Amino acid sequence: MQVVSLRSDAHTDAEPVSGRKSSGVDSAAAMIEIDHVSQRFQTSGKQSHLALSDINLTIEDGAFVSILGPSGCGKSTLLYIVGGFVQPTDGVAKVKGKAITGPGPDRGPVFQEFALFPWKNVLGNVMYGLRQQGVKRAEAEARGRKLLEMVGLKGYENFYPKELSGGMKQRVAIARTLAYDPAVLLMDEPFGALDAHTRTRLQNDLLDIWDRQRKTVLFVTHSVEEAVYLSDKVIVMSRSPGSIKQIVDIDLPRPRKRADLLLDARFQKYIVDIEKMIDDGGKDHL
Amino acid sequence: MTQTRINSVLLGITPIVLFIALWQSLISFGFAPTSLLPPPGAVFGKLAKDFFNGDFLHDIAATLIRLFAGFGIAVVVGVFIGLAAAVSPAINAVVKPLVRVLAPIPKIALYPALLLILGFDHASKITLVTADALFPILLSTYYGASMVEQKLIWSAMAAGTPRWQILFKVVLPAAMPSILTGCRIGLVISCIVVFLAEMITSTDGLGHMLVQAARTFQTVDMFVPLIMISMLGLILNSLLHWLRSYLLRGFPEV
Amino acid sequence: MTVRGVLKTLSPLFACIGLLCVWQIASLRLDTESSPTALEAIKAIPSILGDKGSLLNILDSIRRMAIGLVLAVMFAIPLGLLMGRIKAVAAFFNPLMMIIYPVPKAALMPIIMLWMGVGDVSKILVIFLGVSLPIIYHAFQGSKAVEEKMLWSGAAMGMSAPMRMLRIVLPAALPEILTGCRTGLVLALITMITSEMIARQSGAGNILFNSLDMAQYDTVFAMILIIGAMGIVFDAAFEKLRLSLVRWSQPRDDMPLSFT
Ligand SMILES: Nc1ncnc2c1ncn2[C@@H]1O[C@H](COP(=O)(O)OP(=O)(O)OP(=O)(O)O)[C@@H](O)[C@H]1O
Ligand SMILES: [Mg+2]
Repeated sequence: MQVVSLRSDAHTDAEPVSGRKSSGVDSAAAMIEIDHVSQRFQTSGKQSHLALSDINLTIEDGAFVSILGPSGCGKSTLLYIVGGFVQPTDGVAKVKGKAITGPGPDRGPVFQEFALFPWKNVLGNVMYGLRQQGVKRAEAEARGRKLLEMVGLKGYENFYPKELSGGMKQRVAIARTLAYDPAVLLMDEPFGALDAHTRTRLQNDLLDIWDRQRKTVLFVTHSVEEAVYLSDKVIVMSRSPGSIKQIVDIDLPRPRKRADLLLDARFQKYIVDIEKMIDDGGKDHL
Repeated sequence: MTQTRINSVLLGITPIVLFIALWQSLISFGFAPTSLLPPPGAVFGKLAKDFFNGDFLHDIAATLIRLFAGFGIAVVVGVFIGLAAAVSPAINAVVKPLVRVLAPIPKIALYPALLLILGFDHASKITLVTADALFPILLSTYYGASMVEQKLIWSAMAAGTPRWQILFKVVLPAAMPSILTGCRIGLVISCIVVFLAEMITSTDGLGHMLVQAARTFQTVDMFVPLIMISMLGLILNSLLHWLRSYLLRGFPEV
Repeated sequence: MTVRGVLKTLSPLFACIGLLCVWQIASLRLDTESSPTALEAIKAIPSILGDKGSLLNILDSIRRMAIGLVLAVMFAIPLGLLMGRIKAVAAFFNPLMMIIYPVPKAALMPIIMLWMGVGDVSKILVIFLGVSLPIIYHAFQGSKAVEEKMLWSGAAMGMSAPMRMLRIVLPAALPEILTGCRTGLVLALITMITSEMIARQSGAGNILFNSLDMAQYDTVFAMILIIGAMGIVFDAAFEKLRLSLVRWSQPRDDMPLSFT
C-alpha cells in the first residue's frame, strides 16, 4: 500500500527503516495533496521568516500519518494550511483533488488546548457541528449522546467543560469533531497536555475509532513512540526553513497492542532510528 | 464554610450599623440640630410612608424609565460597535481615535448642549445617560472580542459555521464575561448620571425631589431620594449579578 | 517613523477635526439661534479665557480638583491594598462600598453645603468622595490579584508584613492602581463640574449654566469645548506618566476608560 509519496529533496535521502520505496502518486486514492507549499511570516520590522519551504506531500485516503520534528519547524503551520485556517504564501494544498480555500467540515481539527466552547455544556459542544450541518435538534441530540458514549463520557452530558479533567476535555473535543464526520482528522499534539496514563488510554481509544471509521488522520506529536505506535507513516521534519527530512513507513501489523509492541524489536528499532534522524539535525532540539 | 460566610456577612453589616448608630448619636447627644441632620428613624419612616404616595412613585418611575432607556441603548450600541471594531480593521481605524477623543470628555458638560438641541424632556436625559454608559460597555466589549481564542473560531469554522455567523455564535458568547463587566460599570454610571441630570434641570424624578427639598430646607426629604437611588442601584446590581451567574455558568471563575 | 506610524499618532487629531466638521455642517443645516456653529464656538473661547474673572474661576476649579484628587489618592490606595490582602478588611468595607457606589457624590452637594457652607471645603470634600471609590476598587482588585507565591518568597527572605505590602504588593498592583487613578482623574473633573453646576456659585460648571440661563449660546458651546479639551489633555498627560511608570506591564488600555 502506497500511503505517502514524497516529491521533495528529502526524497534523495536514504530511507533506512522502510522496506518500501516511494514512487509515483496514486492520485485516485489521494486524500490530501500538498504541492510546493511554502509559508512565509512577516515578523516585526521588515524581516520575514520562512516557516515552511517547498513542501510536497500526498496522503492517501484512510492513512494514519504522524508528523514529528523539532519545535518551531512548522508542524502546526502545515496542519493549519490543510485545515484552511492559514493560506500558504506559495503553492497549493488540495483535499480530494480540490484546492483548499478555507475551513470546511470535511477536515476536523483537534487542538492541544481542547478549544471547547465554555458557554456550552458537553452535549451542546458535541451537537454544535451537527446543528451547523442542519441536523434536527432531536436527532443531533441522539447522535451526540451516542458519540459521548463511544468516547466513554456517558453521564457527563450536562457537565460544563470547566468541570472536566484534561483527558475528559480532550475526549469531548474529539467527539465534537467526529460528530460532523470529517473525512480528515487534523490533530495537533492532541495528547500533549495529558498525563502518561490518560495519554495511553486515549491513544488506544483513538486507534479503535480509526479502525472502525478509517478516517484519514494527520497527527502532530513530539513523542516518537506515540508516532510509531499509531501511524502507517511518520514524517520527520527539520527546521530553518521547515522542510520534510524523511518519511518512514511503519510496517507493523494491525491491530496493534502496546504491551506486545513494547517487546517487539522492530518497534524498538523504528523508535531508535527516528530518534537518531531527529538528533542528526545537530542544532535542532526536540 | 457557612460559618465563615456568616462571619463575613456580620462583619459587613457592622460598618453600616455603626454608621447609622453614629448618625443617631450625633442627634441624641445634641451635636447636630435636627434641622441640619434628621434622625435616621425619621428618614426611614418617611421613606416607608412615601411608598404609598403617588408622587413619589411617579418620581421613581420617571427616573427608572430614563435609566433603563439610556442604559439599554448604551448596551445595544456599545456591544455592536465594540464587536464591529474588534472584527473589522477598517471600522477599528475609525472607532479607535473617536473613542480616544470622546471617552475622556466629561459627558455632563454636554448636558447644556443636549438641553438646547433635544429639549428639557426625557430625550436629553436619556441621551446623557447613554453617552456616559456607552464607553465602558464599548471598551470592554472590544477587549473581550479581541481576546477571543483563535482556536475557538477555527473549531466553529471547521464545523461548518459561515463567516458572518461566527460573530454571533462564537465571538459574542466568548466575549460575554468582559461585556457583562462593562455593563456593570455602565449601570452604576447610569444610576449616577440620571440622578445628576434630574438635579440640574427636571420637573420630576428622584434628583428633582432632592433639589426641591433642598430649596425648601426639608432635610428629611433630601435624604429620602439619596437612599432610594442607593437601593435602586443595589437591586439592579444584584439583578445583573444574577443574570451574570446564569449566562456565565460554563465559564471558569475569575 | 513611518507614514503609517505618523497617521496613527495623529489619528485622534483627525477625529477631533472630523467631529468639529460634523458639528459645523449639522449646525449650518439646523440654523437655529440656540445651536451655534463650531467656528462661532471656537471664536468665543478667547473671550472667555481672556476675561480675568472667568479664567481665575476656571483655575480655581482646577486647584480644588487637584487637592481633592491628591487627598483621595493618599487615602484610597492604602485602604484598597489592605482590602485586597486581608479578608476581614474586605468583608468589613465591601457592603458599605456597594451601598455608597450608586449614590452620585455630587448630589451630596446640597446637604454638605447645608453643613459646611459653599466654600472650598464642601467642594473639595465632594471631589474627594467621588474619586475615592474607583481608586479603592482598582487598588483592591490589583492587590487581590497579586500572586500568593510572590509573597511567600518575600516572607521566606525575611520581609515583614508591612515591608511585603510596600515592596511586593504595591509595585505588583501598580498597573491596576494607575488605571484607577486615571479613572479618578476624569472623575474628579466630572464631579467638579457637576458640583459647580448644582451649587451655582463659581467655577467652570457655573459659567456653563449661567451662560445657558442668559442665552449666550456661543459661550455655552465654547465652555463645553474648554471642558472637553481639559478632559482630553488631562487624560493624555496622565497616560504618558502611566506608561513611563509601568513600562513592564501590558499596555492593555490603549483606549481610555472613563466613568462618572
Ligand atoms: N502567526 C505567525 N506569525 C509569525 N510567525 C509565525 C506565526 N505562526 C508561526 N510562526 C513561526 O513559524 C514557525 C513554525 O511555527 P509552528 O507553530 O508551525 O511550529 P511547530 O512545529 O508547530 O512548533 P511546536 O512543536 O513548538 O508546536 C515558528 O518559527 C514560528 O515562529
Ligand atoms: Mg505546534
